[in-house]
Amino acid sequence: MHQSRDVIIIGGGHNGLVTAFYLAKAGYNPLVLERRGQVGGAAITEEFHPGFRASVLAHSASLRPNVIRDMQLEEHGLKLISPDVAVTSLSPDNRSLVLYRDHGKAAQEISRFSNKDAAKYADFQIALEKTSRVISRALAITPPEISRPTKGDLFSLLQLGRSIRGLGKKSTYDLLRWGPMAIADLASEFFENDLLRATIAARGIFGTFMGPWSAGTSLVLLLRAAENTNTPEANAFAEGGIGAITQAMANAGQEAGAEIRTGVEVVSIKIKNEITQGVVLSTGEEIAARAVISNADPKATFLKLTDASLLSPTFTKRLQNFRMNGTVAKLNFALSALPTFTSLNGNQDALKSRIQIGPEIDYLERAFDESKYGNFSRAPFLEITIPSLIDPSLAPKGQHVMSVYMQYAPYKLKDGTWTDQRSDLADVVVKTIAQYAPDLPDKILYAQAITPLDLEQTYGMTGGHIFHGELALDQIFTMRPFLDWARYRTPIRNLYLCGSGTHPGTGLTGGSGANAAREILKDLRR
Amino acid sequence: MATTYDAIVIGGGHNGLTHAAYLGRAGKKVLVLERRHVLGGAAVTEEVFPGFKFSVCSYVVSLLRPEIIRDLDLPRHGLEILPLDGTFTPMPNGDYLWRINDHGKTHREIARHSKLDADAYDDFGKAMQPMCHFVKPILNMVPPDPTGLNPKELSKLLFMTRRFQKLSSGDRYNLVQLMTMSAADFLDQWFETDVLKATMSASGIIGTFLGVRSPGTAYVLLHHYMGEIDGAFRAWGFARGGTGGISNAIAEAALEAGVEIRKESGVSKIIVKGGRAIGVALTNGDEMYGRVISSSVDPRHTFIEFIDNGSLPSDFVDEVKRYKFRGSSGKVNLALDALPDFKCMPGSGAHLRGAISISPAVEYMERAYDDAKYGMFSRRPYIDMVIPSLTDPSVAPPGKHVLSCFVQYAPYKLKPGLAWDQLRDDFGNTVINTISEYAPNLKNIILHKQVLTPLDLEREWGLSEGNIFQGELSLEQLFFLRPAPGWARFRTPIRNLYMCGSATHPGGGIMGAPGRLAALEVLKDVN
Repeated sequence: MHQSRDVIIIGGGHNGLVTAFYLAKAGYNPLVLERRGQVGGAAITEEFHPGFRASVLAHSASLRPNVIRDMQLEEHGLKLISPDVAVTSLSPDNRSLVLYRDHGKAAQEISRFSNKDAAKYADFQIALEKTSRVISRALAITPPEISRPTKGDLFSLLQLGRSIRGLGKKSTYDLLRWGPMAIADLASEFFENDLLRATIAARGIFGTFMGPWSAGTSLVLLLRAAENTNTPEANAFAEGGIGAITQAMANAGQEAGAEIRTGVEVVSIKIKNEITQGVVLSTGEEIAARAVISNADPKATFLKLTDASLLSPTFTKRLQNFRMNGTVAKLNFALSALPTFTSLNGNQDALKSRIQIGPEIDYLERAFDESKYGNFSRAPFLEITIPSLIDPSLAPKGQHVMSVYMQYAPYKLKDGTWTDQRSDLADVVVKTIAQYAPDLPDKILYAQAITPLDLEQTYGMTGGHIFHGELALDQIFTMRPFLDWARYRTPIRNLYLCGSGTHPGTGLTGGSGANAAREILKDLRR
Repeated sequence: MATTYDAIVIGGGHNGLTHAAYLGRAGKKVLVLERRHVLGGAAVTEEVFPGFKFSVCSYVVSLLRPEIIRDLDLPRHGLEILPLDGTFTPMPNGDYLWRINDHGKTHREIARHSKLDADAYDDFGKAMQPMCHFVKPILNMVPPDPTGLNPKELSKLLFMTRRFQKLSSGDRYNLVQLMTMSAADFLDQWFETDVLKATMSASGIIGTFLGVRSPGTAYVLLHHYMGEIDGAFRAWGFARGGTGGISNAIAEAALEAGVEIRKESGVSKIIVKGGRAIGVALTNGDEMYGRVISSSVDPRHTFIEFIDNGSLPSDFVDEVKRYKFRGSSGKVNLALDALPDFKCMPGSGAHLRGAISISPAVEYMERAYDDAKYGMFSRRPYIDMVIPSLTDPSVAPPGKHVLSCFVQYAPYKLKPGLAWDQLRDDFGNTVINTISEYAPNLKNIILHKQVLTPLDLEREWGLSEGNIFQGELSLEQLFFLRPAPGWARFRTPIRNLYMCGSATHPGGGIMGAPGRLAALEVLKDVN
């Protein structure tokens, strides 16, 4: 071994970069090793067709404010764009629901569909804000040690308890009752219009292997709302695509003293006497380090990079039980011109944020049904963005890029392989959108389809799961990735996890990376 | 002025009767009012066709609390539980899975499908024991108010936390999974044989509007796994004389304790004066007065139908309206001239003495649920059948049999344009055709059939939306959330009005626990 480091971070996804930044700021000089040619993991901008750049995977973000602040991301070149519209939900009856970020404007829009719902909109918003105050606190702490809570655990639990008390009786019960509920039920407790219900329900199912009638999907909404309280999720976009976020993170990390190497693949974690020694690269090179932090998902970390014989049967069993079969595919289109969404009458603002196709609860549920039996949805739930509308630099002049999340595309297909079904998948997506924008097919110059298998093979997410593991009642907080190992540490000394497979792991927030850094620093300072 | 009772119990189902018996034994003057001509509610035996006695609704028992059997001395009052041995699952490929209460035989039988599963099955049984032991005290506990500041309440929560902390790591892991996962996902972690997983997962969905892949169903699996008769976990049985035998024994115990029971006395109103319940009005116009009114019927009847608008706080009424019933099951009772003959195991062997489960694959179960989600009964339903006449010949004429089929899914709410009264025959035929695929002689041996839709369960037994548990057993409607947040302690916003039915903690099944726990709370308040 020719060099030794304090800390090596395997994987330069957004959480790895956040962890690297905090460790660098504390004076440790982390080395980030990224397999691909650029950092960012699933938060990247790539030229997928000559002249067309897109946020090929994640296409919007809700970063934690303290992460933006601490890393001074704006000073490092990040320009976040927050469109006036949060989401536009299309309906087959040629209407559309444009939910503005501004609640008053959103309510006004809803009143075109239901006055009752328009009046209730503020109540729902208030409820979300209340519960999110508690949940965001829970997301920011390290899950406690159950059998022997530390002093720090007791303190944070006490704080959490006090914030729950602060909610008052009714809201506390709401929180307890809502968590395990199906999002379809929660949405219909507040609203009567199916388009609005489905628009809200989408947040509870996005990225999961659950439908709106699955119990626990309300919790997914509450978890996501804790990072972004706006009812329909008012996400941010970045100038230059989502990759600009991770570029700024990389800059911030490097300035603080982190070193980043791209195109470097770690093939194994070197362990001696159950203590982590460093990593081995695909070139055979070994790099020694006091601590190794894996931004890869738990299964990739332990089943691919670690000698399995070092793990206890219990740990291995829990690891194998950790559910991470992905359900989304991503499609990126290079377009010769903007397609015409007939229901919007040329309202371009409505296209500048997320556009949802998933007009009814039953529509979403039926889309899910097919995936249970190993088929991708023939009438899928889609989340579309056309980022070139807010950042024309992403496409040649007058042309556009359109990025589409397609759900449900189950990782495990019953018949055939994803390689065979890739073009079918793209056809289904184009046909689905064409029902709302009939001129779309004529405007497609190129389509890139990223299947769950690609998510695994190209982007390294086991099972193609965009959250590094299902967000479900049994896989959150002290159970993420699983009970007894939710504190970023692992059974192997000096080996840590910092990716989305750890608490809170709810998307492009930086939460897992920040929490992990806090725990790892405690150990490094020992 | 009529007599004033210490307590009037609305509904003579097993919980109402249990409740009355406990109050009677404490020296109270108690009156039970039952709307129907027969006691038992859904735990009832009726001679539907001459000579054929059916456990019309609930058909097996395992959850009846042992302390109730003991306290009320039910065996002396005629309760006799006959064993229901095993579960037989015929498969479309001509094979079958037959689990019985003989460990060695079951092990060999599962090993025929998968050696790994045979061993895992033993491990599974062992792993469930501590789960049942953990949950058992909760069944006997008045749910605490987690939002309260009362030290007694907090100490209950602390007690539960401590017990959780004391579990081994493995037990904690299993418990958390059971409380949150879907039955199918949970079983996937243990077993590989599809038919085994499908049949086991069935107990996770019975009575709920959830599929085997819906999170939260693993809990219902445990709820049913906890069945205990005479202390032995996981033993199911029949009551001699049908399920009504249980209700009758409880009624005998109540009568002995001085309780007065009136049948064909339907309640139409609960009389509330100055925020207190003081009596009930019957459908015939009579009024009865009591110091305490306990309702064993579900919250929709109790609070929406029996109580005048305006007597209750509006947010409580909202909670009651929000409470989910969503009945999902029906019942087909058949009087048979002979025994069904299964293709995969011809003849009248011991396999007919247990439960016979039409649950050949996990996907079959889930697809049955899919139909129901969009408002139609399952075209290929999950069916759980028993032939009690084999174990208890008194329920059918000599040589004849009764076949009781529990069918899921039959959603109460059908899609627009459909109505249960028009679908009843179609539903019944679907069930008979489904069974006939496995036992082709069935169609030729049916003497009579009774088809009960969820709408029938509502009309005849007063189970709102036909939910057999008086409300979904889903996570958000359990423990301190059952039936409404803040009102899980058997009391109601109206003074002297109590709830004592399956809509309260710990929920449905012939358990008796709600009736008993509520009685103990009433006694605390009045003494």
